[in-house]
Amino acid sequence: MLEIVRQQMICILVPGWDGTTDLSESGSVCNALDALFEEVEVVQFASIALLPARVDAKDSRPSLMLELAIEEGITPYDMLYRLVYHASGAMWSLYSSFWPGDATALQSERNNKLLEKLMAGVSIADGGFIGARDRTARQIKKEQELLQWTRDQARAMKATKQYGDDRAAFALALAQRAFDEPRFDWALDPAPRSYWRGKGAGILAKVGYVLAIFVLYLAAVWLVGAVPRGVLGIYTWLFGAPYSGVQAVVDAVCKASGWVLGVSIRGALALVGLGYLAWLFLVALPAVSKSWRRWLKSVGRELDRPTETWSSWSTYWVGWIVGVPSVVAVVAFALVFIFCPGTIVGAYHALTAKFLGWQIIAFIILAIVALICVVGVLSRIDQQLAAGNWFFHPYEDDVPRAQQVYTSIDYCEGLVVHETAHMISLTDVRRPNGWNAWWIRTSLRIVTLFGRVFFTEGRLGSAPGIHFGHWHIIEEGRRYLFCSNYDGSFGGYLDDFINGATIGTTLAWRWTTLKPRESAAIGQPAVEAPRSFPPTRFIVFRGVRCELKFKSYARDSMLPHMFRFDARKETVDQINLATGLRDALFGERNDSNDDLIMRAIES
Amino acid sequence: MKISAGTPDAMPPGLRRLFYGIFCWANRHPGALRVFGAVLRRWPFVGGWLGMAARANAVKAVLTRPNSFSNRAHAPNLSAGDYLIGMDPGPTYNTDRRLLDDRLAVLKATLPAAADTAVQIQVQALKPYGNKPFDLIDDYLMWIVFHAMYPLFGAATDRVAAGATGNLNDLGLQRQYLLEIRYVAGQLLSGSSATLRIQRRAELCADALRARIADVNGDIQGAWGVNGPVNVISRNAVGLAWISHPVTVQSGALAVQELLGRPKVHRVLRAEARRLGTDAVWQDTAFRDLVRNHVLELMRFRPIFPLLARDVPRDTEFETGARHNATCPAGGKMAIWSIAAMFDSDVKKDVSQFCPARKWGNDEDLRWLMFGYGTRQCPAMVYAVDILTSALIGLLTRPGELQLARGEGQAIAYDGALMSRMRVRFT
Repeated sequence: MLEIVRQQMICILVPGWDGTTDLSESGSVCNALDALFEEVEVVQFASIALLPARVDAKDSRPSLMLELAIEEGITPYDMLYRLVYHASGAMWSLYSSFWPGDATALQSERNNKLLEKLMAGVSIADGGFIGARDRTARQIKKEQELLQWTRDQARAMKATKQYGDDRAAFALALAQRAFDEPRFDWALDPAPRSYWRGKGAGILAKVGYVLAIFVLYLAAVWLVGAVPRGVLGIYTWLFGAPYSGVQAVVDAVCKASGWVLGVSIRGALALVGLGYLAWLFLVALPAVSKSWRRWLKSVGRELDRPTETWSSWSTYWVGWIVGVPSVVAVVAFALVFIFCPGTIVGAYHALTAKFLGWQIIAFIILAIVALICVVGVLSRIDQQLAAGNWFFHPYEDDVPRAQQVYTSIDYCEGLVVHETAHMISLTDVRRPNGWNAWWIRTSLRIVTLFGRVFFTEGRLGSAPGIHFGHWHIIEEGRRYLFCSNYDGSFGGYLDDFINGATIGTTLAWRWTTLKPRESAAIGQPAVEAPRSFPPTRFIVFRGVRCELKFKSYARDSMLPHMFRFDARKETVDQINLATGLRDALFGERNDSNDDLIMRAIES
Repeated sequence: MKISAGTPDAMPPGLRRLFYGIFCWANRHPGALRVFGAVLRRWPFVGGWLGMAARANAVKAVLTRPNSFSNRAHAPNLSAGDYLIGMDPGPTYNTDRRLLDDRLAVLKATLPAAADTAVQIQVQALKPYGNKPFDLIDDYLMWIVFHAMYPLFGAATDRVAAGATGNLNDLGLQRQYLLEIRYVAGQLLSGSSATLRIQRRAELCADALRARIADVNGDIQGAWGVNGPVNVISRNAVGLAWISHPVTVQSGALAVQELLGRPKVHRVLRAEARRLGTDAVWQDTAFRDLVRNHVLELMRFRPIFPLLARDVPRDTEFETGARHNATCPAGGKMAIWSIAAMFDSDVKKDVSQFCPARKWGNDEDLRWLMFGYGTRQCPAMVYAVDILTSALIGLLTRPGELQLARGEGQAIAYDGALMSRMRVRFT
């Protein structure tokens, strides 16, 4: 399920770039690539950049990176095959310097060589998010035409003053005009939606899907035990008992199947229990208890606090002393319940043998009272120690640094100021590489899953404006590449992440560092001194909340692009608006659709 | 034509793959389809409930009502654009059909001699392999069919295969073209059940094919000697390119697969070929008829399209063979079990037996049912069988017995519903 998302964002890294190909904006190679991507029609964004080599790399020459954001369902091989074997030979013109003096070879032979080389360098995204999804570049273009046409028509109709304030009549007349326009026949079909944006958009469908998979899994595990048992039973009934060896094997299979079945069901129950506890403490209690809500908010604020204060310091350490052991205890209990439920039953029998029922109840009540008292005291402390108190003052000042943006990065941002903005960031994975790369990968898969299943309407968390954002772990887990195509400016974009997807962003970046590196070419940025990602608390807190440090870190990790292709040329909001207008104009007439039409023509 | 290329998958993750897996499995195991078809024939009312025609009479009746059971069912799977197979009768259909008949008439003059020549060249090319394995599809059938069908595009064939700017002698470019059209045709075979990856690959290849044909439209127009509008030439050239070659190659591979599963039949044919000698096999009309009958029988047992779909544009009924007609609501679909109809024992008692020499008498049309029936029957079926007959004769002329090359991975590899590789060797 995630691979289909990850395959939409690929980077092709070819090391050993010697820089002999002219990649200037008006050069023949860039023009040929533009024409190629235009004609192929399934590439939505593309860029080329040079990745500087690591200081300890054998080959000090940079790698040529081609970033492709493509439409859903196309595998990297099929995409590259289409690009490489295109009659224009544009891809060969880009990469021909890797085979100097090979211009006379047969076209098919050199295409085969090129495809092989590119496939060796393909990196599909380890994680990614797509904002306005389920739309092809062709569809976006056609829907924008429809939007523009509708606005023009609406303007003309308004000028006649025939409809006054009657929105419904106005929308109906507009829809009729659209129906009569033969060039919009394609819009009679509703805009296509993938499962998680269509039938699977509701929470019931999502829960139902998980349950259906789980039940099928249980049925399969049960069948593994039941089928041999049934066959053996029939055989025994027909021909008598089989060899003892056969009986032993069947018994072992049945036992294993039963064990897996039990563990799976208890595991699911434990997950439901943990989910319930999380809901109770993080959703239900804050809703009913003001002091709990305030306390919870204050804990979050202290853990996220970018500066070091006594309050954040103490919250952090209390978290270690109380929070972590409690979580570990709950998880350990869940594991014991899953794998050795007999231990819990035994402990319960031992407890009831030693204490009477009223004593156990009294103990539980005492524990709850104690918990309430602790929360009360903490809440009181929070209220008493108002802002301005020394307890909340930073004891270690954040050190802001005057950020110098490299000229070539500034220049690249200037080039796309009226288009979709673009960012390439290259960092190093902290040591130990394998361990941290594993964590990054896991975090990215979670982000991708949530993006695919829950954040289906163009926002990641509450961060808007992302077209294609993708992360790659490259060079055998040594480096970390992030490419993003987004709306707006760099500062605003990072602000959206910092405030809208704090946890996800911290999770995605916290395992990285920035080691010194040479520039990839003249005019490209180098990293002079090592940098670190801002410190985090409990993996997901703080991190990107250290706004200046994070932005400065991100800036220093950036690389300029040398080529850029944008097939969308519209913001995510604009794309969503046009698709909504299509469905509203050609859908049934109701207040909601009329509203959408009016919004579309007036925005 | 596929209305909106790149449509995302609206099915829950995993479900499409499951359905497609079942579909492909059934395609690869025609025996299973025949068993299910027998059930539908025995109790035709079940087919009526499910909208499936299985008895020979029912299938023929449905196929002779193109207005009630529309070929538009194929249209969403024509990734390269509209073509005859997915059109309803009408002016466009008639124009395109005339154009196609003209093209096929050229083949009438050249076949089977052109196919024989192509086979002999390819058989020579196989000699260096000795008893080493080779790919029946990529090293044999693909090229034979390409050369035998050369007159379809006439002088423009090489330009179509190499592209507007490619070197005409670059075999790699020709191979790329043949792969391109294979995947476009594969979408017709897979249908809407195909996974997103298969559909998108077909769309990419279809885009490439359209661009290729657009670049050489002038050459094609010259070779065909037609002065029609550019879009008509393009539509027909694209359609003709992707449907003619790959379907014939796949049919040939399936026929050989079926033959290799019948060693006795294979041995008898080889013995006859050996008796006649390497040169005489090409001249002897009785032997050619014998092989042709075998090809048809092999294709009956392993047809490339065991099932066909039809759209139901308006409310109608069809005769299932049960006491009552089955109703077909407008907007629905109809499944035609031609594989079941070809084995209808009510028509011929011994029809379940492999018998190339069977006298079909008035039921000859049943023998060709894998090519459809009525006015929408494949117009090139005779030529396809001619080419495959030559290809099979070529294999029979080689010393040694053709066998699947087992022991080095799977001899037959599938790419969804398509057979992508068939490694064989002469032992």
